[in-house]
Amino acid sequence: MLDRRFLISLPIFILVFIVQEAVISQFNLLSNGFSLFLIFTLLWAALGNPELGALTGFGAGVLMDLSQTNSGPMGLWTLIMILTGYAISYLGYGDYNFRSNPISLVLIVALAVPITRFLYLILGLMFGSDLGSFLQVLRSLGVSAIWSVAVVPLIMPAVTRLHNNLFRDKSNI
Amino acid sequence: MRNGGDNRGRLLLISLIVTSLFLITLDLRGVSVINGVRNGIQSALSPFQSAAATVFRPVGNFFSDITRLGRTRGEIAELKADNDKLRQELINRENADSELAQLKSVLDLAGKAKYKVVSARVISLGSTNSFAQTITIDVGSKLGVRENMTVISGAGIIGIIKVAYRNSSLVELATDPAFRIGARVAGSQEIGIVSGQGTQKGFLQLLGNETTLKVGDVILARGSKNNRPFVPGVPIGKVISVAGAAGALTQTGEIEFYANAAELSIVSVVVKPPQSDPRDLLVPAGPTPVPVPTVTIYATPSESPTP
Repeated sequence: MLDRRFLISLPIFILVFIVQEAVISQFNLLSNGFSLFLIFTLLWAALGNPELGALTGFGAGVLMDLSQTNSGPMGLWTLIMILTGYAISYLGYGDYNFRSNPISLVLIVALAVPITRFLYLILGLMFGSDLGSFLQVLRSLGVSAIWSVAVVPLIMPAVTRLHNNLFRDKSNI
Repeated sequence: MRNGGDNRGRLLLISLIVTSLFLITLDLRGVSVINGVRNGIQSALSPFQSAAATVFRPVGNFFSDITRLGRTRGEIAELKADNDKLRQELINRENADSELAQLKSVLDLAGKAKYKVVSARVISLGSTNSFAQTITIDVGSKLGVRENMTVISGAGIIGIIKVAYRNSSLVELATDPAFRIGARVAGSQEIGIVSGQGTQKGFLQLLGNETTLKVGDVILARGSKNNRPFVPGVPIGKVISVAGAAGALTQTGEIEFYANAAELSIVSVVVKPPQSDPRDLLVPAGPTPVPVPTVTIYATPSESPTP
């Protein structure tokens, strides 16, 4: 069941990855703009169960690790995305989940984006990456949260509809 | 599976985490299979990036103008629908003119220092996934581009080739926090190291203390052994502030990079360095002094003074 869902999701993620790498990166937006792929992945994970969230995070993390602009070691994004995907779907699953309220879903995903990037930063530092200007990093994290608040409501209807159509039996938003 | 607590879920999570740790270990041990996969992905992506750059770059610059200046807002409001096509053509033309000017500028710089260069278009402005500052250009190993080659613009250094794929290359920008370059002060020839700070400003530390660093001093690339990764003489930036107390062992300062990769669409890769060091030949010309007219009044005394 999980394998089937993972395989169905894979082409969608590859498509969003190509859009991120080829199109979104063309726009010279404030503080490097936003990562559509990261937002999409977190939103997708938030709509599924924890197992699927971890598996989604794994697939997305591998793609992010394979990005030519990735400066950290291969596998770092995979590790972070597994944990984040699992965590966000864990919070969104069950009887008292946040998925029933679109506003809380937007806020949780918008908050998860800078947290994920912060985790990458911390683990990257442990693997010897350079931090650069602290203020610049802080600004980048803050702006990415603001971008996410703006972008998540725009893509959420399409993503939830797509998710519902593919996995009608589990999604409930 | 309520709350994700059953054994199957835990086993899956642990398996995935172990796999990711295995990947990290492989990468840190330098297993080349992973690089091969990454190269393959980039080779597959570069046609998409080139196509997207052609279509979206004028629009991307347009957004950039809005976020930075906000000046075009009023003009857009005044445009009528039947002018849209003409306006798009104008944007494309301006984009082409801008690229032409950038190409001319970088070829002038390369020609002056006798660098052999391969010109390239910027097809991607890095990634928001990473804190590293990079750009992707549309030339690769097929045209002789190799890792650790210097990338320049008409204004000065842009960065170095970090990874050369077949049809594209990843450039690590001089503004990246991990970037270090051996530098010298034009004129005094004092040597030092410039580090990227993640912004348009860099940190300069001189290695000696024979001369005094001044605001406005031009900083040039010192050059590396066998000219890789840095060819000598490329302008890096100018000093905008000097720090360090009197009597300090070394002098430090802040520089502003001449080249701004975010505003460029054409760059060049130095594929063959010059036979000799161009020294200070590439120091940017300072502002031309404006002549101040001097008015001279000759007073001739009259023969008969008035009472």
